[in-house]
Amino acid sequence: MTAVGNFLEEFADDIGGVCLFSPSSSMYNTFAEADAPVVVIGTENEVDADVFVELPLEFRDPTERIRFGVEGALGQDAIEEEMTLLCILGSFSDDADTVMRVRAGAFADSGVYDLFMDSRPDPSVVRDVLEVAVELGKKGQKGKPVGALFVVGDAGKVMNKSRPLSYNPFEKSHVHVGDPIVNVMLKEFSRLDGAFVISDSGKIVSAYRYLEPSAEGVDIPKGLGARHMAAGAITRDTNAIALVLSESDGLVRAFKSGELILELDPEDY
Amino acid sequence: MVLEQFDLPTLIRSLFSERGAVAVAVLVLVIGAIAGYLVWRGTKRFLCRQGIDDAVEGTLFEHTANNVGLSTVGILSQLAALAVYLLSVIVALNIARLVDTEFFWIRFTTLLPRLFVAALAVILGLVVGDKAKLVVSDRLKSVKLPEVSIIPEIVKYSIFYIAALIALGQLGVTTAALLVLLAVYTFGLVFLGGLAFKDLLAAGAAGIYLLLSQPYGIGDEVEIDGTRGIVQEINVFVTHVESDDVEHIIPNQRVLKRGIVRIRE
Repeated sequence: MTAVGNFLEEFADDIGGVCLFSPSSSMYNTFAEADAPVVVIGTENEVDADVFVELPLEFRDPTERIRFGVEGALGQDAIEEEMTLLCILGSFSDDADTVMRVRAGAFADSGVYDLFMDSRPDPSVVRDVLEVAVELGKKGQKGKPVGALFVVGDAGKVMNKSRPLSYNPFEKSHVHVGDPIVNVMLKEFSRLDGAFVISDSGKIVSAYRYLEPSAEGVDIPKGLGARHMAAGAITRDTNAIALVLSESDGLVRAFKSGELILELDPEDY
Repeated sequence: MVLEQFDLPTLIRSLFSERGAVAVAVLVLVIGAIAGYLVWRGTKRFLCRQGIDDAVEGTLFEHTANNVGLSTVGILSQLAALAVYLLSVIVALNIARLVDTEFFWIRFTTLLPRLFVAALAVILGLVVGDKAKLVVSDRLKSVKLPEVSIIPEIVKYSIFYIAALIALGQLGVTTAALLVLLAVYTFGLVFLGGLAFKDLLAAGAAGIYLLLSQPYGIGDEVEIDGTRGIVQEINVFVTHVESDDVEHIIPNQRVLKRGIVRIRE
């Protein structure tokens, strides 16, 4: 047993801080008494921790969870880039079963946290739209895979850089993402082509928009189609962010400032 | 109704013997006990089904009741049962002619319901006041200012005050002075509230018109009161107009007062 003990001691040596992912309150209290900074990361702050990073989604993949959590903690200045962190999380169940040692600086510029917290639209709006996209990707439209493009935030500018493909079904309506009925409506309207435009506060401004940004110099990975190109271009031209559900591979991708920030598989959530 | 009841003992005596009357009185007591038990169970189940037990969760009254091994639902249903027990006891005493019935009957039939209404008002006031405080402070949770915590307290004590007034009024205590105080308080609240929320109310009224008729929508280029730009957002109170990285947030009453210039190329 000494070999294991020695290894663990060495493993946890010179740790600068601890990241707890959805900890139980007893676990949080043990760590809170130690002098290393403790960051709690989860979908809800159940233990009333001082430093808390809210996860927008239940990331199934532990690396995604750590990437988002550590970047969020860096964004809140709770930890520093040169710190070595010990992450305690549950990979296979809700109980803590995994301990990881990561360097905080490695996650400094992935932009995932930034996408949610420092974008023009409200974080909750981004989260709601992402949820709709993930659900749409999971179920599709009547079993068939569908594609969809959501442009979130800076709606005035986006509307001026696009034109209608058909009558706007959301004209003079006051629906916001996150209302239960909206998910059904968005699903129905995703059958037709065109982008959804959503304002900073989550109001659905329009559907069936044809985006006309200048796509010059937009650099997105090769192999992605026109929908992704349009998404990349509109986010470069405006302060909006774009969430794209790909029809061909079923992945949800997020763009900001013309760059691909996040790529996730709806089946994982 | 009361006058009809008066003849009950004589009626029973004419139907049965003197002994029979006592037996009837005992029977009434037994029926009262059973009815009380049924009322207790029924009220308890009814209140639980209405979700009262969840609604009062976390209030001070429920907490205090729990400390002495009771619950709000339990107290309310016991109160209802107690009313039935007392009624049956009075009827039984009346039939058996154990007390001076006329005097007793009048006193109790007038006082008893009032007593129960007063008790009910006190309990409801305590529970509703506490609950209102919890709801309001939950709403204001995102505002982390110590001054804000006074608002839930004001709400709580206002409700307590009204409940106390109702209870005292039921018991026949003169509440004129307290009523005047309440009127002054309400007037102050309405008057000062109206003064404080004047602009918000005007903006809200204008905003409702703007949202319903939508003279301009998100993405339109407009000029309002000298500021020109693209509409980014319209809500009940303000309109966001953005031009060249500057976002103007214009209160809606100003939009309506000054008019809108829509710019079409």
